[in-house]
Amino acid sequence: MTGYVLRRALQAAAVLLAITAAAFGLFYAAPSDPALIACGPKCDTGQVEAVRHSMGLDQPLAGQYADYLRGLVAGRVIDDVDGTPIDCAAPCLGYSYTLHQPVLDAIGDRFPVTLSLAGGALAVIVVLGVGVGFAAALRRGTATDRLLSGFTLVGASVQIYFLGYALQYLLVYTTDLFPVPGYTPFGDGPGAWAAGLLLPWLVLGFVNAAVFARLARSQMLETMHEGYVRTARGKGMSALRAHLKYTGRGAAAPLAQLLGLEAGALFGGAFITETVFGLGGVGKLAVDAVVQNDLPTVVGTVLLAAFFVVLFVALADLVVAWLDPRVRLA
Amino acid sequence: MAEVHSRGRPSRGPFATAARAFRRDRTGMAALVAVLLCGLLALAAPLLAAAYGKNPTTHYGQDEPGLLSAEGLPVLPNGGISGEHWFGIEPGLGRDVLTQLLYGMRTSLLVALASVAVIAVVGVVLGVTVGYLSGLADRAFTFVCNVLLAFPTLLLLLALSPVIQTRFVDPGENEPAWMQFTSLILVFAAFGWVPLAMVLRTAVRSLREREFVEAARALGASRRHIVLRELLPNVWAPVLVHVTLAVPGIVTAEAALSFLGVGINEPVPDWGRMISRGSEVFYDDPTYMVFPGVAILVFVLAFNLLGDAVRDALDPRTAR
Repeated sequence: MTGYVLRRALQAAAVLLAITAAAFGLFYAAPSDPALIACGPKCDTGQVEAVRHSMGLDQPLAGQYADYLRGLVAGRVIDDVDGTPIDCAAPCLGYSYTLHQPVLDAIGDRFPVTLSLAGGALAVIVVLGVGVGFAAALRRGTATDRLLSGFTLVGASVQIYFLGYALQYLLVYTTDLFPVPGYTPFGDGPGAWAAGLLLPWLVLGFVNAAVFARLARSQMLETMHEGYVRTARGKGMSALRAHLKYTGRGAAAPLAQLLGLEAGALFGGAFITETVFGLGGVGKLAVDAVVQNDLPTVVGTVLLAAFFVVLFVALADLVVAWLDPRVRLA
Repeated sequence: MAEVHSRGRPSRGPFATAARAFRRDRTGMAALVAVLLCGLLALAAPLLAAAYGKNPTTHYGQDEPGLLSAEGLPVLPNGGISGEHWFGIEPGLGRDVLTQLLYGMRTSLLVALASVAVIAVVGVVLGVTVGYLSGLADRAFTFVCNVLLAFPTLLLLLALSPVIQTRFVDPGENEPAWMQFTSLILVFAAFGWVPLAMVLRTAVRSLREREFVEAARALGASRRHIVLRELLPNVWAPVLVHVTLAVPGIVTAEAALSFLGVGINEPVPDWGRMISRGSEVFYDDPTYMVFPGVAILVFVLAFNLLGDAVRDALDPRTAR
């Protein structure tokens, strides 16, 4: 197992390094003049020149990338538009000339929102996804199965930007059944925190749980007919115990992988959910940065999101290796 | 082998078997009809609009007094639904909702089908080739796939559109519509081929050890012949399934981009932009958002059902 963990960690690190290079190349190399965009239309030629120098755009691309990597590992000092040196501590994701703060600080300010949203939504995904998927599989072919499968199919087809508004209109605006969505820091009152996030959790959780439940159902059905489950049943083990002990474990690997992917995506920012419910998390930061052409923030949020995907996919792989010895011994 | 079928029942090819299984699937057939209907509506949008007497760009609400209030909201209840405007009119600009929906479907389908075509070609070529080769090519391929899969696709799509725009269009100039379409399609294709290629790589890796491939190799067939003539015909089932399920994915991603403010610009009708506009006036005029919202839901549902049915028909193991 140790060997597998090491191999997997090295692989994740290599992927992350390649991602920094790709993201850097795409965004810093592509537009005609990032300095002009970063500085804004009000800048005069001297200021644009200063920004260009501060962003290191007067250096070759390889040198810029090396500086960026150095900042990530050891931190660096970046000049603001007016020449004030800003200390950007490691891991430095660059400096936003639009927000006038290091990108990591901007992300840090908004990360509690994203973390709260993602955590609750993941709980909904696991409970609803596994519950519905397994219930449908165990009751295969019955009315329950058809009802649950129809429910997940609608969930997999409905879009957050429609469902979110529709539910806000029906459950908050017209009937007051749900509290108004919004973010209150957990420290200011766990009750208000949970109340404001309840509807976003349910919507984001339901939409993702639907995909999860569909996979859970089909995996369950596939594993239920494996020889070892039939043997257990034939030896007199009760259906529930056999399914929990053997079918569940056999079906868990692909589910863990999907959950890793979804968790990674959620922690990188739920762009649409945050926009729909007016939550100021990392997703909203990223969308705003794109709209305002704030390149350092765009690159920073892309890297953060990719980091979470790589991290959670690697964690999921470790869970799979722990569940299934064939993987780690291969 | 002909004696085996001496009862007069010719052996069915895999396609005929699948088609038979598909025809027996009532949900799948209904989904197919719905999908074809969507395609027909999109194709016939100009004809339908002409018969209905409206177009998606005229600002009816602003041109004719009495349709929009001073705040720009439809005067008639339910988003201004009337005999004249069946689905109501857009708040603010006062365009006809029904024709916008019809033309919006053209936008969605054009982007999705073109992207899927590119994805299918790239995914098949790369997946089958890499699956047949192995060693260094295979390792490089897996690494690239891992990198591409880790990127937050939606954010990257979001971020790339303006990048492409500033690269190819002079500041102050408007990006021509064809270029918006092309850049969207290319960006979707750049990330969309990965899952397909990975599935095909796995499928081909198991196929290449089979006897018929070995036989071809023993007969001295070239690598090109083996890939094109022996392996490719055996992987069309996963390709078909993947392609059917990729269409709704791209339609919703495209709508999401427009919803978030990048994507196809005015005046090309677009479902995502309609939803975005609807979200601004949602509490005063909820009807306006219901139409594009339900349209996307029905469209995506039909494609998902069709994809499920195609998969079940092609793979008897999953039919249940």
